[in-house]
Amino acid sequence: MNSPAALRTWVRRALALALLLLPMLALASTATEPSKRLKIGITLHPYYSFVANIVGDKADVVPLIPAEANPHNYQPQPDDIARAMTLDALVVNGIGHDEWAQEIVKAAGRLDDLPIIQANASVALIPIGGDQGGGKVVNPHTFVSTTAAIQQVFEIARRLGELDPANARTYRQNALAYAGRIRALRARYMTRFAGLDLSNFRCATTHGGYDYMLQEFGLFVTAVIEPRHGVAPTARQLATTLDTIKKAHVQVLFAEKSFSLDLAKPIEAATGVKVFALSHINGTQFSADEFETAMRDNIETLAEAVEYTQR
Amino acid sequence: MKPLILTAPAPITVVQPRSGRWETVALLAAGVALVLGMTGYLLLRPLKVAPPVALSWQVRSFDGLSPVDQAIHSALLPAGQEIIWNNDDTGGWISLERAQAMLLPPFYRDTFWKANGEVSWQLILPGTHLSHQQSGNAHLQANASAEPEASSSAVAQATQGQGATVYYGTGGKVPGQSAYLLVIGHAHAGVMWANQATIWIHRDANAPYPAIVKAESLVGEGWRQVIPYDGSREIERVKGALP
Repeated sequence: MNSPAALRTWVRRALALALLLLPMLALASTATEPSKRLKIGITLHPYYSFVANIVGDKADVVPLIPAEANPHNYQPQPDDIARAMTLDALVVNGIGHDEWAQEIVKAAGRLDDLPIIQANASVALIPIGGDQGGGKVVNPHTFVSTTAAIQQVFEIARRLGELDPANARTYRQNALAYAGRIRALRARYMTRFAGLDLSNFRCATTHGGYDYMLQEFGLFVTAVIEPRHGVAPTARQLATTLDTIKKAHVQVLFAEKSFSLDLAKPIEAATGVKVFALSHINGTQFSADEFETAMRDNIETLAEAVEYTQR
Repeated sequence: MKPLILTAPAPITVVQPRSGRWETVALLAAGVALVLGMTGYLLLRPLKVAPPVALSWQVRSFDGLSPVDQAIHSALLPAGQEIIWNNDDTGGWISLERAQAMLLPPFYRDTFWKANGEVSWQLILPGTHLSHQQSGNAHLQANASAEPEASSSAVAQATQGQGATVYYGTGGKVPGQSAYLLVIGHAHAGVMWANQATIWIHRDANAPYPAIVKAESLVGEGWRQVIPYDGSREIERVKGALP
């Protein structure tokens, strides 16, 4: 027969056991909880490809703006702000190609708590080629390249690893494998370039976006038609550039594939340069392989242009 | 009807200011000072914010390097990151043969290598990290496959005890080209260890390998550290955090 004293003892023991078990149960529940699946925002097409290849199936990649939007003059929309409110991190170019992202993040009230991954944080920047009015202006098109692209992939992987330590090793391994694929793509064309004489190659570009890519092949830009990023030249500036093109014996003009050729065609007529179109890597759909596809096309075009000058 | 009363005009009294008209002078002086101040500011204000100034023993990658040096520096940065990650994962260093297989610029002998002076690279392994060398098969393989001239040469002996792995590039054929050092410091912090890469150049493309791979010695032998003008610096500059 249970006496009241025995009952009190039993209750005390049960309470003590419960107090002992509670922290263990709490620890067990956190230990088995899987790490949160990140939603990683991106601003530009190449960054979709970079992040998608780094995270694989371990996180979601969310474009901040529509695929067909022109990043040069984009005006933030309400849907962009709604998307920004749901993100765990945002990958940006950060050096002059997606300044509107800051406005979107601010409007979403996420300035203080949204981790921003600056893809170019560790990329050695180079100036826009040609004469930029005596000054050297940072070229933000680091993504139209292979070497600077790899540097960005590494930086993004490193930062994502800090935000998501459980998957850090996977991100790094994926980044290294992706870098290997990008290098292999470049190497295929290097073989083609090997037999060509690059010493007399002179080119101009309508848009100051290709210095990083040309640098990788030992090529340099003689003149850029746009006096500033996205700014059309005045008649006087255009006349000066045409003069430079003629004096430097420039044979090739690289225009932008998705922009109008209105500027390139008169220059072709006035100077006799041959116009080739390169991609700024801004298609109509986001995809993991878009960067590789666009860069393959770009390097193919570059090879054709160099071969043209050998004739 | 009120009668018109004519009165004599009151005498005009001119009241002189007690200050003796100094307000006018003060106001004029203040105006002139304002105009001079504004003019001075407009003439002397910085027209654009420049990248940070490099010290005498440093050189900026953005505007201090020739195009060829800039291209090699740009390639060395991601290569350094990959070398460090590889070391973190395997304990080994990427040999120059392995760099060929990996197509890793600027070591990979492709068109980039040809166009940028056909630099001759050597891997100088550290002499004091035997515990790491013995820690993994990968590292042993890396050492075994390292360039024989690098592991057994006098320059390799010179780094014994310094704990730095160095990729040393000389003999570039482009006029004005530099010699290069990718120095990966191998620092211990208690039981942990960490790698950090720095890049140095020398005006003489055939500069001999430095006796000691430490900053003060390198500076003394004419080497200059390359300060990458990277995206983080550009962001700071745009935000106004840099002078």
